[in-house]
Amino acid sequence: MGSKYPRSVRGCLPPWALMLQGALVLIFFFFTSYDTSSKDQKKLLGTYQVVQDLSVMAALGLGFLTSSLRRHGWSSVAFNLFLLAVGVQWAVLLDGFLNQPFHGKVSIKLSSLPPAAMSATSVLISAGAVLGKASLVQLLVMALVEVTAFSTLRMLDRRVLNMDNHVSMMHIHVFAAYFGLTVAWFLSKPLPEGVEEKEKMATSPSLFAMLGTLFLWIFWPSFNSALLDIPNERKLAVLNTYYALAVSTVIATSASAWTHPQGKINLTHIHNAVLAGGVAVGASCHLIPYPPLAMGLGLVAGLISVSGAVCLPVCLHRVLRIHDTSGVHYTFGLPGLLGGITYIVLMVLQASWASSPWVGFQVLNDAGALSLAVAMGLASGLLAGLVLNLKIWRAPHVAKFFDDQAFWEVRVLTHNMLDFKCMNLTGFLL
Amino acid sequence: MRFKFPLMAIGLEVAMIVLFSLFVQYETDHNTTSHINNTMAADMDGFLKLYPLFQDVHIMIFVGIGFLMTFLKKYGFSSVGINLLIAALGLQWGTIAQGMLHSHGKKFQIGIKNMINADFSTATVLISFGAVLGKTSPIQMLIMTIIEISFFAGNEYLVGEIFKASDIGASMTIHTFGAYFGLAVAGVLYRSGLRRGHDNEESVYHSDLFAMIGTLFLWMCWPSFNSAIAETGDKQYMAIVNTYFSLAACVVTTYAFSSLVQHRGKLDMVHIQNATLAGGVAVGTCADMTIHPYGSMVIGSIAGIVSVFGYKFLTPLIATKLRIHDTCGIHNLHGLPGVMGGLAGIVAVAMGASNTSTMAMQAAALGSSIGTAVVGGLTTGLILRLPIWGQPLDEYCYDDSVYWEVPRWREHDHHFHDPGDHSELEPEV
Repeated sequence: MGSKYPRSVRGCLPPWALMLQGALVLIFFFFTSYDTSSKDQKKLLGTYQVVQDLSVMAALGLGFLTSSLRRHGWSSVAFNLFLLAVGVQWAVLLDGFLNQPFHGKVSIKLSSLPPAAMSATSVLISAGAVLGKASLVQLLVMALVEVTAFSTLRMLDRRVLNMDNHVSMMHIHVFAAYFGLTVAWFLSKPLPEGVEEKEKMATSPSLFAMLGTLFLWIFWPSFNSALLDIPNERKLAVLNTYYALAVSTVIATSASAWTHPQGKINLTHIHNAVLAGGVAVGASCHLIPYPPLAMGLGLVAGLISVSGAVCLPVCLHRVLRIHDTSGVHYTFGLPGLLGGITYIVLMVLQASWASSPWVGFQVLNDAGALSLAVAMGLASGLLAGLVLNLKIWRAPHVAKFFDDQAFWEVRVLTHNMLDFKCMNLTGFLL
Repeated sequence: MRFKFPLMAIGLEVAMIVLFSLFVQYETDHNTTSHINNTMAADMDGFLKLYPLFQDVHIMIFVGIGFLMTFLKKYGFSSVGINLLIAALGLQWGTIAQGMLHSHGKKFQIGIKNMINADFSTATVLISFGAVLGKTSPIQMLIMTIIEISFFAGNEYLVGEIFKASDIGASMTIHTFGAYFGLAVAGVLYRSGLRRGHDNEESVYHSDLFAMIGTLFLWMCWPSFNSAIAETGDKQYMAIVNTYFSLAACVVTTYAFSSLVQHRGKLDMVHIQNATLAGGVAVGTCADMTIHPYGSMVIGSIAGIVSVFGYKFLTPLIATKLRIHDTCGIHNLHGLPGVMGGLAGIVAVAMGASNTSTMAMQAAALGSSIGTAVVGGLTTGLILRLPIWGQPLDEYCYDDSVYWEVPRWREHDHHFHDPGDHSELEPEV
């Protein structure tokens, strides 16, 4: 057993965070400038709307989605905000360096914020898998590695495989899920007795998680259409996402009741599986011409997600000894894979209707992009996992997993303590 | 409470309706003959373009600030509920007060900018409400709303029309003003009976999580707040980008310094809830100037540091030495960063980031905001001290049950779903 007093984390977070922020300010000083081109007001505010929607999803949606652990709510929400702030700054820079024609200075357009916010979202998704097992400094390092890897992935997709912006961005779910799972595999130590108790959910934290789910659900059409420029594709994307989400909600609720011996609904399934439709339809949402197709996709995604939630922790994760705290694998990973495969099939159908001679090449190319996303996720997750296991980050002791107390100054907490205080006071008065 | 409050509220609302009928017109039914249809269509277009920004500001006022104040364990109803009451009354009175000043007492048309400005004027009252949270009655808050918005409109007229100072995100006219007004009121209403603190003046685990909802909404919508009334095009773009990066940088330094000043390097929820927003306040004045992204990041970082230090060291000092008890710590979230924003504006103008204003005028604007706020706050405080407004007794401060019908089993609700577990989190040995 470790000592009763966990190590102080004072020497750890402040220097790293301040150094990083200082470095970011310096890089911004040398390499960024405003966008000086003239702006159309309508377009400007349109882009700003998208930025707003994405930050609602990232800060509020993903923050609260993972807050269902009974003693880990503060960390879920607040660490999420921190990672978003770091991730966005780093992603803006990297996108500028890697994905735009680079002339000495990165010009910061308003339209460079949505992709940056989405790249930062990948960190927030992966953080769900290691939730409660990593300190803030470890998460910070993970964020830097992951944003770098994801930007590289997008650059490769664009330069080598000629994928468009939207599709390469929609590989985010697969990438982030497998990245998170790999890191979680490195951080999963045998958990001591009693930790399961902390993992249990209480009613009101589940409601908080529901808040996150609802915000994600409401704004998902914006996420899927954020990077599309052609109005018609955008309209299709919004509609298809909307239908897919609706269907996956219905399916998730009924499938959850179906898997329970007494037909009761499990709120954890609802939290995650209602979003599966939005994830699955992501890559192909601008291509699907008929709503029923999107709805079918939502149906399959909902089923996969719920059955994943039921089976995966028991079979796969136990065998591999991965502890996936908030179910990233079945919320984002599997539906994301489904979406990637659907995209390949749709492209093949389109190409064969047009009887283009490039069908084989097209399949190879798209399948390559999808497997590149998975491979990149696994490889960079491996790297991040190795780095995170270094002693210098002062990981929390395993007894302090899933517990806010390791990181937070918690003032008055218990009724016992209150009673104790009152007794003291009465004693004092007497 | 039974009769005073309803009478007061109904009376004020009737007065508002009468004032609206006397002074307010739609934009469209004016001068239909002299304007051709073309310009009318353009006006409506502008209205709808700014409507999303107005919506964001609305979210900040009603959801953001309201939930930010729900951190007290027994005062959640009042925080959100009275916030709604103040904001609803305040935006009506703000429309009238600002419209009359700018039109010099004649009738005026109401457009999207009036609505945004009315929301801004309620923000001052809600900021001040943070300082006296838990220690006042709803009637007192109604009175404070009316008086504070009058002072605010006067000061805003002085800064905008006479000094012609630049204050786009209103660091000075809203944040600094609201904070010092609230502090002055809190100073006059000081309760020496609560010198040693109050049992209810603390948070519980879930109330802090609720407050985090408010923080997140404010954090996300702040770029809209700072850019809502900016000139369209370049300036609006810069206001958005600067605020965005200032906020991001502020979050990182806040976490770092919170961990640095706390016992054993832990984070403090109060700092995270509030200081992460200081970056948005501090960049307000110079948001639409060419300060470059790195400049806004520097401003945001410093604001986070100042705010954390304020919570850690200054608030206890002010409470004991100056006898001003600031419940939400608005001095650290709005006061200091607001002043910092004013100073940053002076520096930015001196460095030539803007050509619309001069250093002297910026300084005068900052001075007049603080001066008006303190004078107005002291006056309001003296009026609110009269013992006829149904103030709560010392022992019933920070308690919803004085003014609200409260469910009986509120504080035991987590026993309800988990009878075995009496402690949310054991104290560390």
